Amino acid sequence: MKDVETRPSRYEWVIILAILFASLPLILGFSLLVLSSFSKEMVTNLDLKSFHFTLENWINVFQGKLATTGGIRTNILKVTFHTLVVALGVSGVVTFISALAGYSLSRIDFKGRKHMMILLLILHAFPGVALIVGVYLLYRLTFPQSPDLIRLYSFFYVILARAALEIPMSVWLMKGFFDTIPWEFEWSGIIDGASRIKVWWEIMLPLIKPGILAVALFAFLAGWQDIIYVRTFLIDQTLATFIEANIEAEYTHMPLVAAAGTLYLLPTIIFFLTAQQILLQGYSGGIKG
Amino acid sequence: MNKINKEKFTALSFFLSPMLLMVVLFYLIPLIMTVYISFTQMRNWNVERYLKDFVGLYNYERLFYMFQHDPTFKAVLLTTIVFVGITLIINVFGGLALALATFFISEKPASSFRLLWLLPRMSPIAVYSLVWYYFFHGSEIGTLNSILMKLGVISQPIPWGQTVPWGAWSIIIFVNGLVGVSFGMIVFTSALNQIPRELVIAARVDGASAWEISRKILIPLTKWHFLYVLTWQFLSLLTTYPHIFLLVQWDLVNRDYGTTLALYVFNTAFGRGEQDQGLAAAAAVILSIIGVIGGFVTLKVLQFEKMMKRPRGDF
Repeated sequence: MKDVETRPSRYEWVIILAILFASLPLILGFSLLVLSSFSKEMVTNLDLKSFHFTLENWINVFQGKLATTGGIRTNILKVTFHTLVVALGVSGVVTFISALAGYSLSRIDFKGRKHMMILLLILHAFPGVALIVGVYLLYRLTFPQSPDLIRLYSFFYVILARAALEIPMSVWLMKGFFDTIPWEFEWSGIIDGASRIKVWWEIMLPLIKPGILAVALFAFLAGWQDIIYVRTFLIDQTLATFIEANIEAEYTHMPLVAAAGTLYLLPTIIFFLTAQQILLQGYSGGIKG
Repeated sequence: MNKINKEKFTALSFFLSPMLLMVVLFYLIPLIMTVYISFTQMRNWNVERYLKDFVGLYNYERLFYMFQHDPTFKAVLLTTIVFVGITLIINVFGGLALALATFFISEKPASSFRLLWLLPRMSPIAVYSLVWYYFFHGSEIGTLNSILMKLGVISQPIPWGQTVPWGAWSIIIFVNGLVGVSFGMIVFTSALNQIPRELVIAARVDGASAWEISRKILIPLTKWHFLYVLTWQFLSLLTTYPHIFLLVQWDLVNRDYGTTLALYVFNTAFGRGEQDQGLAAAAAVILSIIGVIGGFVTLKVLQFEKMMKRPRGDF
C-alpha cells in the first residue's frame, strides 16, 4: 500500500530521475537495436549521421535475403514458425500439467504431499540446466533412425525438456491460484456426488481462468526466449539460433540482424503492453510460499 | 472405506502422474545418467563406442589435477567465485533499492519502471545478448566506446570484454545483474505491499523521511524476503549460464575470464572443437552436489515447511 495522502510529493521527481538514470543503459540498448533495424547503418555509435531511414532490412528479412551479396537465403517465416511451435508447445504442456498437479496439491490431502512440494521447490531452486548432459544422453538413446522422424522427434523432445524446466515454478504458481478459490465452491459439487476429476474440470478450471492465462503466458515466453535447449536438441533453426549464427555477418548487414532481433522481440513487447498486470502479479503470486 | 480410498487413488494418479512422469524423465533419469557418464570416457557424443567404457574416478582426478595446474580452469573457477559473489550483491541490493524507490513514487511511473526492469528477464536471450553485444562492442560501433570517445575520456576504442580479468568480469556481471535485479525487485515489491500502510502513514505524520521509514520500518519487515532472494539467487547464479553463453560464443568477452563453471560444463559437453562429456559430467555432478546442499540449506533457513498448510475440508 502506498502512503499517497501523507507523502510529500516534492521529492518525487528526484527519485524518478534517479531511477531513470539507472535505467539509461537499458533504454538506450533496446531502443538503439530497434532504431538500427530501420536504418542503413548501425546507429549503436550514437551518431545521428549514421541514421538513414529505410525499410529495406525488414523487407529483406521477410524475403529471406540475408547477406545480399553472399547469397545466404533463409526463410525467416519458417524460422519464426519453428520458434512459435516450440513456444506454444512449451506453453501447452506446462499449463496442462500444472493445472492438474496444482489442483491436487492445493485441494487433496495425501501422504507425501508435503515432500512432493519440497521436492518441487528444490527442483525450482536447482535449475535443470545443469543436468543437460544427462538430458542429451536420454535424447540420443531414444531418438529414431529415420531422418524425417528425427526432425519431428527433436521438436517433441525440445518442447518436453524445456517444459520440464518450467514445471516446478508453474505448479507452485497454479497451486497459489487454486488456493484463492473458496472451498465451498467445490464442496457443493462433491456433495452432489461428482468425482474430484469432474469438479476440477467443471467447477474449478473456469474459476481460475486468469491463473491459467498467466501460467500459459509465462511458459510461452520461456519457450520463446530459449536458446540453450533449442540449439542443443532442435535440428531446425529458430530465431535464437538464427541470430547466434548470423552475428558475424558483414558490417553492412548488421542492421539486418537487428531487424531479425526486433522481430524476435515483438511478442515480448506485445505482452508487455497488453498483459502488464498479469506479468507483475504473476511473478509475485508465485513466491507467496 | 475401501471404495473412497480407491477413488482417491484414481483421482491422485490422474492429477499427479503427468507431473511425476516429467520429473522422472527430465530430472531423475538425467541426474542418474550424468553421474553415470562421469564414470565413463564419453567424448564427442560417440555413444556406441564410449557408453560402456568405464574409467572409474579418472574424470574426477582430472578435474582435481586441473584445479591444481591448469591456468584456464583456474580462471574459470576464479571467475565463478567473483561472478556469483558480486552479481549476488548487485541483485539483492539493486532489487531492494528499486523496490524501495518505486514504493515512494506514484503508482503510474512506478509500474512503468517495474515493467521496464522486467524487460531483461522477459526478452529473448539472443536479443538481450545482441543488445549488449552492440553496447560493449570493442570497435567504434560499440555504444560505450562511442560515448566515452565523445566525452573525450578515451581516444581509441577499447575492447572491453577482452581486457582481463576485470573488463570481462564487469560485462558478465552487468549483463546478468540486470536480469537478476528484476527478481529481487518483484519479491521486495510484493513484500512492501503487504506491510500495513498504517505503519508508514503514522511514521509520516511523525515527520519521518523516506530514508528513515525505509531503514526503521520497511527493511526490517522484509527480512524473510531478503533471505529468500539471497539464497535463491545464489543457487540460480551458480547453475545457470544462458545469459553469458552468447557473449562468450560471440567472443565479446574473453573465453577464460567470461566462463563460469556452469557454462564450462555446457561448453565442454557441447561446445566447438573437442567435446569431453565425461569431464563435463564430473563437473556437473560437483555443481549438482553444491546445488542440492544449497537447496536444503535454503529450505531450512527460510522455513518453508511452516508455511505449508494442510488443505482443509478433506475426506
